[in-house]
Amino acid sequence: MNANEKGVAMKYIACIACNGGCRSKKDCSYGCLACGACVAVCPNGAITIADELAQVDTSKCNGCGLCKLACPQYLISQQHTPIEVRCSNHDLRSKDHCEVSCIGCGLCQKNCPADAIRVVNNCAVIDEEKCLSCGACAMVCPRKVIHDRRGILT
Amino acid sequence: MATFFVNGTEVTTSKKQKLLRFLRDELHILSAKDGCSEGACGACTVLIEGEPCRACIPDTERLDGKHILTVEGLSDWEKTVYVFAFGEAGAVQCGFCIPGMVMCAKSLLDQEPNPTEKQIRWAIRNNYCRCTGYVKIIAAIQLAAKIFREGKLPLPTDDSWHIGTRVHRLDVEEKVLGFGKYPDDYYPEGMCYASAVRSKYPRARVLAIDSSKAEALPGVLCVLTAADIPGENYVGHILHDWPVMIPVGEITRYLGDAIALVVAETAEILEKAKKLVKIEYEELPFVNSPEASKAENAPSVHPNRANLLAHKHVSRGNAEEAIAKSAYVFHEQFHTPWTEHAFLEPECAVALPDGDGILLYSTDQSTHTTLHEVALMLGMPYEKVKIQNALVGGGFGGKEDMTVQPLAALATLKTGRPVKCKLTRAESILIHPKRHPFSMDFTLGVDENGIIQGVKAVVVSDTGAYASLGGPVLERACTHAAGPYAYENFEIDGYAYYTNNPPAGAFRGFGVTQTCFAIETLLNMAADKVGITPWEIRYRNAIRPGGVLPNGQIVDESTGLVETLLAIKEDYDNAKVKGIACAMKNAGVGVGLADWGRCKLIVEADSKVHIYSGASCIGQGLGTVLVQMTVTNTSLNRDDIVYERSNTWIAPDSGDTSGSRQTLVTGEACRRACEKLKEALEGKTLSDLIGQEFYGEYLAKTDPLGANVPNPVSHVAYGYATQLCILDEKTGYIQKMVAAHDVGKAINPLSCEGQIEGGVVMSMGYALTEDYPLDGNCKPTGKYGTLGLFRAHQTPEIKAIVIDKPGLNVACGAIGIGEITSIPTAPAIADAYFRLDGKRRYSLPLTDTPYERK
Repeated sequence: MNANEKGVAMKYIACIACNGGCRSKKDCSYGCLACGACVAVCPNGAITIADELAQVDTSKCNGCGLCKLACPQYLISQQHTPIEVRCSNHDLRSKDHCEVSCIGCGLCQKNCPADAIRVVNNCAVIDEEKCLSCGACAMVCPRKVIHDRRGILT
Repeated sequence: MATFFVNGTEVTTSKKQKLLRFLRDELHILSAKDGCSEGACGACTVLIEGEPCRACIPDTERLDGKHILTVEGLSDWEKTVYVFAFGEAGAVQCGFCIPGMVMCAKSLLDQEPNPTEKQIRWAIRNNYCRCTGYVKIIAAIQLAAKIFREGKLPLPTDDSWHIGTRVHRLDVEEKVLGFGKYPDDYYPEGMCYASAVRSKYPRARVLAIDSSKAEALPGVLCVLTAADIPGENYVGHILHDWPVMIPVGEITRYLGDAIALVVAETAEILEKAKKLVKIEYEELPFVNSPEASKAENAPSVHPNRANLLAHKHVSRGNAEEAIAKSAYVFHEQFHTPWTEHAFLEPECAVALPDGDGILLYSTDQSTHTTLHEVALMLGMPYEKVKIQNALVGGGFGGKEDMTVQPLAALATLKTGRPVKCKLTRAESILIHPKRHPFSMDFTLGVDENGIIQGVKAVVVSDTGAYASLGGPVLERACTHAAGPYAYENFEIDGYAYYTNNPPAGAFRGFGVTQTCFAIETLLNMAADKVGITPWEIRYRNAIRPGGVLPNGQIVDESTGLVETLLAIKEDYDNAKVKGIACAMKNAGVGVGLADWGRCKLIVEADSKVHIYSGASCIGQGLGTVLVQMTVTNTSLNRDDIVYERSNTWIAPDSGDTSGSRQTLVTGEACRRACEKLKEALEGKTLSDLIGQEFYGEYLAKTDPLGANVPNPVSHVAYGYATQLCILDEKTGYIQKMVAAHDVGKAINPLSCEGQIEGGVVMSMGYALTEDYPLDGNCKPTGKYGTLGLFRAHQTPEIKAIVIDKPGLNVACGAIGIGEITSIPTAPAIADAYFRLDGKRRYSLPLTDTPYERK
């Protein structure tokens, strides 16, 4: 399935893998810098910075991927599943650097019915080919790092 | 506490539970089906704020203010359109996945009224279907979209209900709208729940069962053990080697063995109570492979039984000599894996007290088989036990043995209460018998023209913990290993070994899915050596009417293998990278076994003919077939006829729905009953015949294996097929599958196509992606979502060709189709990949394909 196929049912939407922990003045080196590069490059004005965190308005995102190329922290990916892991912190003790990070606890991995989400280098990652968009991971994440971008399950 | 909206109605709930439980258990909105409760299957899909969501995932407390829509909440017009479209397209087979599919369709069409096929596949990509291969579901959604755009309902293509017409199946409406009842949809007053504590070890002696803590938990009615079984503990489909529960002092055979049955007021209490049952074991060494099982001094899986369950030897002519004289000889070893049926509906039974007997709603492949085993366990006469089929959400052979039925019946007997006994998806994957893994050693000899001279083979299967249908599967693997070809030197030795792995039993193809992979692969190799195409070598060797099969049977005029080869020829010639394979499969159990079809037509007080037959409809559309046969064989209209789901107290025993037999065997019984009815209707109306019964029966008579006759009739009929796999040479994915099937007379061509498409996709999975991994301790490690089933956005184009060739003079010429659709697929795909990359593959799932899961 390629992202160029038009139509609502197959949209790839920008996903920013940061949960906004930077707001609490901890020192995660992986997270969003609120630099605004993504905001500037987006042709549809789909990204805004709110409280030090870049956020995507999914109704405006057309999946073009320019923000992904612009982000100096490599935080942005495009995915079709609405279930997003909003963290890129690979520290073993990410808890020391962010209050809302993924801590690699593995509860998501344990509860995924399709083995689609795994902890890789201390951070949860979703394999989109396997993901069934069920949201089981989002339900069990103790840190509330996994979000349903539609605002339904989370 | 949360307040939200379900189908427009405001609801408030404070109990912490998943939305699915709230919908089903409290609101009794039953269209959302419980297929797994772990987020995998999609059968519980509802719309939340217009988006498809699995109802088994969110807790109700998260849903404050949200709007939830189920099939029940669609508008009347939407319901009409979906019922029509899904019926017209033939998209409904067992029906369990359908409400979820409809909700995905609704979400898509609300946003995109004119979707492309790709968009439709994408919209249902997270919803599994095991029956249809998705083809007709996609077509149904396309048709629904068209009807919504045009604003008016077209006429159905056909509604004469004669045989040969593409009528909408009779159960489309109840399945699309979700009010059709599977056992899980029964909630009798006072119902409680039962579930068994299963063995901790594959092989261990049960030393003691301490249920005191569990029994003390408020809400627990009782904890039952083997000691509470009034009749026989040992049951089984053929061999009674399967204890309903393992008694203290006896040994377990696999991790799925039931040891204690807990009965409780609610499902939550049940789960807590199960954890409180303490079982003491003496762990014992186990065997986890045929090699381990046959070794000298191997532990015995069953006390007083050898680990060799069955040995079959089939021989005709002199295979060894014929091979020795052959111009070219090919010898390889093949391996095929365990496979899980993965039907969408997990096992469930609801039992109720019925006078001094029991009434049980079941999902199974024969109510009479369930009756026999349950009554045996209860120690009750058959008259006191009534089994009624609810809708069955798929079987494929996996519901042929007992699982929950004896447990539900026992719990009802002991408590005097209605009891629901249901398997979780994980239990289902562990407990019911699977497809046998086979190790096969095959040798093929051909002459310089590619004509088969002889075949010799040795096959070994792991039949797991219990016999189930392991003996007949081995037999069928052996008898059909020769392939649908005209030669006479054939010899095969087959061995089925007990192990402490989960049991293996019936699964679509029944041993032929395995041996066909071997023989067809060797034949493709022979074609290359001789310098002809795989198509040509089959055309030369194909069995034709009047010819003699390697089992000695002379085949009749109905034999249509050549027609299937010709049907795919054009696609074959036009394709660049392709593989083909042929297959034959018996219709009817054959080999001298009692193969009875029985059917009763009763004219009831409503002046309609009610069709009663013990034959289970497990999603293949048998009820519709019987109604079509009745319309054609009498002067009646569709409206004069009611199809009754199988039960044991009115419907006569018509054998199991297995062996691709029901259309032929029960169909003929139905036709015979119709003859009598038609005669009675001469000069009369139905109202004149109220209260009368018209009975038909048919014995599909065959010769036993090894019968001392020159040309035994092993089976009354065979289906034949050729399947073609075409690869996209750029991507390496499958571009198209073409499957041509000789079915005799196609009673409902729409249903035949549906079986073909579903069977092809099922064995594409078998060939490319599916596995049922076992760890070293006999434990299956797969989950529904990791088995590797094909999803709607991954399947290629499937072209189903139904060869409507006159069959026998029974059953209006129908032969049947159930299993053969899944048989030649794997070798056809294997050969296509050989053409692509030059690598021969001798085991499944095939490696080094773009589909390979790493």
